[in-house]
Amino acid sequence: MKVNLDKTFAIAAPMSNGWKFLQDIPGVASCMPGAEITEVVDANNYKGKVKAKIGPATMAFNGDIEIKSIDGDKRELHMIGRGQDTKGSSSAELDLTAWIVDAGDGQCELKGKAEVAVTGKAASLGGRMMVQVADQILNQFGKNFANNVVAMGEGEVADEARVELAEQPKELNGLAFAWSVFIGFLRSLFGGGKPSAG
Amino acid sequence: MATPADEMNRQDALEGVGCSRKRKEDPRFVQGKGNYVDDIKMSGMLFADMVRSPFAHARIKSINKEKALALPGVHAVLTADDLKPLNLHWMPTLAGDVQAVLADEKVHFQYQEVAVVIADDRYIAADAIDLVEVEYEPLPVLVDAHKAMDPDAPILREDLVGKMDGKHSKRVHNNHIFHWEAGDKDPTDRVFDEAEVTVEQQMYYHRVHPSPLETCGCVASFDKVNGHLTVYITSQAPHVVRTVVSLLSGIPESKIRIVSPDIGGGFGNKVGIYPGYVNAIVASIVLGRPVKWVEDRMEHLSTTAFARDYHMTGELAADKDGRIKALRVKVLADHGAFDACADPSKFPAGLFHICTGSYDVPVAHVQVDGVYTNKAPGGVAYRCSFRVTEAVYVIERTLDVLAQKLGIDKAEIRRRNFVKPEQFPYDTALGWQLDSGDYHTALDKVLKAVDYDGLRKEQAEKRAQGELMGIGLVTFTEIVGAGPSRTCDILGIGMFDSAEIRVHPTGSVMARMGTITQGQGHQTTYAQIIATELGIPSEQIQIEEGDTDTAPYGLGTYGSRSTPVGGAATAVAARKIRAKAQKIAAHLLEVSEDDLEWDVDRFKVKGVPGQEKTMKEVAWAAYNNVPEGMEPGLEAVDYYDPPNFTYPFGTYLCVVDIDKYTGQTHVRRFYALDDCGTRINPMIIDGQIHGGLNEGYAVAMGQELPYDEEGNALGNTFMDYFIPTFVETPKWETDYTVTPSPHHPLGAKGVAESPHVGSIPCFTAAVVDAFSHLGITHMDMPHNAYRVWKQIHQLGLDKRG
Repeated sequence: MKVNLDKTFAIAAPMSNGWKFLQDIPGVASCMPGAEITEVVDANNYKGKVKAKIGPATMAFNGDIEIKSIDGDKRELHMIGRGQDTKGSSSAELDLTAWIVDAGDGQCELKGKAEVAVTGKAASLGGRMMVQVADQILNQFGKNFANNVVAMGEGEVADEARVELAEQPKELNGLAFAWSVFIGFLRSLFGGGKPSAG
Repeated sequence: MATPADEMNRQDALEGVGCSRKRKEDPRFVQGKGNYVDDIKMSGMLFADMVRSPFAHARIKSINKEKALALPGVHAVLTADDLKPLNLHWMPTLAGDVQAVLADEKVHFQYQEVAVVIADDRYIAADAIDLVEVEYEPLPVLVDAHKAMDPDAPILREDLVGKMDGKHSKRVHNNHIFHWEAGDKDPTDRVFDEAEVTVEQQMYYHRVHPSPLETCGCVASFDKVNGHLTVYITSQAPHVVRTVVSLLSGIPESKIRIVSPDIGGGFGNKVGIYPGYVNAIVASIVLGRPVKWVEDRMEHLSTTAFARDYHMTGELAADKDGRIKALRVKVLADHGAFDACADPSKFPAGLFHICTGSYDVPVAHVQVDGVYTNKAPGGVAYRCSFRVTEAVYVIERTLDVLAQKLGIDKAEIRRRNFVKPEQFPYDTALGWQLDSGDYHTALDKVLKAVDYDGLRKEQAEKRAQGELMGIGLVTFTEIVGAGPSRTCDILGIGMFDSAEIRVHPTGSVMARMGTITQGQGHQTTYAQIIATELGIPSEQIQIEEGDTDTAPYGLGTYGSRSTPVGGAATAVAARKIRAKAQKIAAHLLEVSEDDLEWDVDRFKVKGVPGQEKTMKEVAWAAYNNVPEGMEPGLEAVDYYDPPNFTYPFGTYLCVVDIDKYTGQTHVRRFYALDDCGTRINPMIIDGQIHGGLNEGYAVAMGQELPYDEEGNALGNTFMDYFIPTFVETPKWETDYTVTPSPHHPLGAKGVAESPHVGSIPCFTAAVVDAFSHLGITHMDMPHNAYRVWKQIHQLGLDKRG
């Protein structure tokens, strides 16, 4: 089961900071709710884990992250994450290309193209909600990413971003997430388009 | 002198053939006192659970069981490597292929069994599964059967590379299983070349699953002291299981006891032998303790046998009046990763070549190619007789297409093509001999009952108003009761069946059969047959099945074979007893046998009122006063090898109204007329027909096991898999005619599958008929609201204003 997503996140910070943060792989990984890098194998290979709790189901994925390319000219990162749920009943693959574009006025945007593929029970049980779930995960990711970049700066906005980051739940969790998935799903039904970017 | 009233009273007291006797099974079921496999608990019993693959096609790089073995309460974790020394890592299938008991180096479909964990209880086993670490290397996945034989298709079965002599034919590709044909190709092609009219329709009979209420499971118990193996198992064919287990394990059949206790529905799903059974048996032999394995619903829908997955093309050649001149059918059959169909050995496509239906088809040709894909294995007869559902679907649908092309009414075109009553027994172009039938009478009775002309008139009015109303009509002929051993065998064993009847001194009866009831009510109906044959009240007749230690060898219950084969064996065995009883009665009455006549429950001396002996009296005498030279006792066994199949038929009519904005199909009326020959228990027949119609409705309107392109099973939970409840189920109207089978001892034909076989194309026909005036000739199942809406939307019928 495959889902393709295109996302854009506005970042109230200069492009150079955005690009700097995009190259910080553990930093980028930490933006993914419930994810962390557990081992740096070499510059392009990392091991990590993602824990997600959706409703009654807890899924923990152990996996490898491979950096395919970091292109300074395009300010683009291409990475592939492959994981298998620790119970062996599901697996997931994420092929992500993310790049930073200048939005003018000291602001920038993070753009991303992601292909998410899941197999096993996650596909059988979660297939019908997969677009919404993946979309919400990426929205949280984008929000965290933006806050991280803004927090690199100074001033009131940066302080706010730091507070938000500190309050950010460390695990993909619970009702709030289910609710945002539900709202996203309703938007997709009645909004006449894809779920809105966060 | 016995009065007719007296005779009727005695007749009624028997509750014999024709009586709507209440089911003997129900008191225990409605009280929750059934005894199913999962109810069986044995001292020291362990539980087995499976590690299954998340991938549809992958190489297994490593399996690490250390963590699982370290969990307290875990007794063993077995993989293919552990079974190899026993040569049990692969097992033969009923279709002549092999299937991995545990994945050997590779997985071939999602949820395939990779390892089995044996633990103290099922919770520990479930926890331990999560701790078995399996490393996979995913391989390209083949899901689309049409691409299976492409030159660059992935190789699925590495064990078959280079082995191009298949069980049934040469294989032309490594993913090819068999090519099979019936009929006359060249004459058929010639008729098509010269025909006034031809039609062709492609249709996909989707993958579905029988999904009985009870999933599959077993309890295996090996006694290390005396070498006996006992297996309680959800099997529709316990004797076949015993033979297979003996061949696999080397344990003599006499030391294996297979017991099918109460079975919560089978519908073809419980005919085959599954890896779970073999694993439980092996684990019990290795550990010397009883081992239980019971699958959950998701495992059930994902791995134990599915049905259908037939890509069919039906073609008819006809004259301008719609008279059929030839039939041509091509099928691409998706069998999944292993060929684990359960068909008579000689027929890789089952009895699919019954697809000439109820019609006088002069010449026909059928070809079927089976292929492997990365899907679960199976291809069983889901409430039908070996691919008969598919066969009826293709002929009924294609005939409708012909009617539409010629502008002939769908009832009229059937009437013009029916085999006529005087043509029976009728030899079909594809090699069957239809035993009896009266198709015209059945059709006319239904058309009159529903006011067919009135319905067509109403439909014309509705169409004028832009509304969607459809009338589906199906006039099917089934082939059931496999089967004559000259054509039908499983693993070389002829498909006879058996009955063993013992009449006790006090006149009560114990009878055992080789079949096994799973809801059909054998304990009720077999007793009725014996009651009528022997004049002993059915209440005094006990029926036992399913225990191979006590029951005579039989091939089991599927393909509506219990009444045609097991019921015949029962009648013949009873007649053997009556023949002996007549000799004893003659001895007691001191007359010649020929001076006696049978009267309901007794022998009477012809023309001498009052000179009579009841069967009860004869039974007593059988144990103390038999004629000189006769052995005492009153019992008989019959192994019945049927001379032919039986051919039940019916006419079904369905009326639907379709909401053109939502695509929701409302079944307004469903009228089912069945002719199953002699009716043994009308109430049970009605119940079976209701059940079959429900399952037909489920298949046609919602059931589906789809796979995505990575081979993920997407329909394998009850969130997705449609099981109609009383909320969704339409009202069923049933009717019947009686055309006895000339070769069956009772004239009975079998009935429980007809409603499934007949109703499915009828639902499709009704839905398609709602669109037929717009040029639509076919819509693939399932006809759920979304799919129907897509058709509506494509035609632009949902525009408002």
